[in-house]
Amino acid sequence: MSINLLHRHALEDHISGFETDPNPNHLCVIRRPVIFSVLAHEGQETAVAEALWNAEDVAPRFCSPSEWFAVSRTLGAETVAGTLSEIAGASVVDQSDGRVLMEISGPSVRTILAKCVAIDLHPEVFEEGHSASMLCCHAEANVARTGADRFEIIVPRSLAGSVFELLMEMGREHALTRGFAG
Amino acid sequence: MASLITCPHCGTRPKEEFSIRGAAAPKRPSPTAKDEAWHRYVYVRDNPKGRYQEYWHHVAGCRRFLVVERDNLTHEVFGVTDAAELERAGAGE
Repeated sequence: MSINLLHRHALEDHISGFETDPNPNHLCVIRRPVIFSVLAHEGQETAVAEALWNAEDVAPRFCSPSEWFAVSRTLGAETVAGTLSEIAGASVVDQSDGRVLMEISGPSVRTILAKCVAIDLHPEVFEEGHSASMLCCHAEANVARTGADRFEIIVPRSLAGSVFELLMEMGREHALTRGFAG
Repeated sequence: MASLITCPHCGTRPKEEFSIRGAAAPKRPSPTAKDEAWHRYVYVRDNPKGRYQEYWHHVAGCRRFLVVERDNLTHEVFGVTDAAELERAGAGE
């Protein structure tokens, strides 16, 4: 595989043409995020969760009682691997190549996502900082609320294209724009 | 069919996220059990009407096996437990 292909993003073909200014409702694809899968050994679940939530510059995402994603947009994979390997009783795997990170934000974000996921995203139910695995546009995704009107979606790389197209379609009536970042 | 399942880890979720893996009541025989016991376990299953326990796999969520107690006539769900926790509780008794 050539270097060019290695650095090609899975959504490169979906985002082409003129780069427009982002509208209030914007879908941002993070170019090179660092995503690690963290699994706790049996009996270590609470200790690992606590260590993960205290880790600096790494955002934890809940998947299951003994599994999390650790996401970072600023640090490199080696740094994150170093931080995570210090957590006792956990196994970590680099998933950055296999996952795509998208961020959707704007005043209509909940109306758009209501057509994509089947769970209640009201701020009282799905609070800021909350994350969970769910079906998003028929693909298994991890959705996290990172702000009042901002959500992060992690999808498997091979399903990213169809999820992206569906999100854009659902956001069309709200003039959703898209673009790469980072 | 019950369309909303309250997963103990993920909260209330639609049934599309789950995969139904069969009745939870039959106990797996020991590996050395007679062929008749295994035949009964694998092939001869009841098909009850009303309240019964079933394994549901939360495929699109936490990927845990859950035991859902539900009524297949009225679609009422009585309880959802993690299968591992139920096993542990059963072993402790």
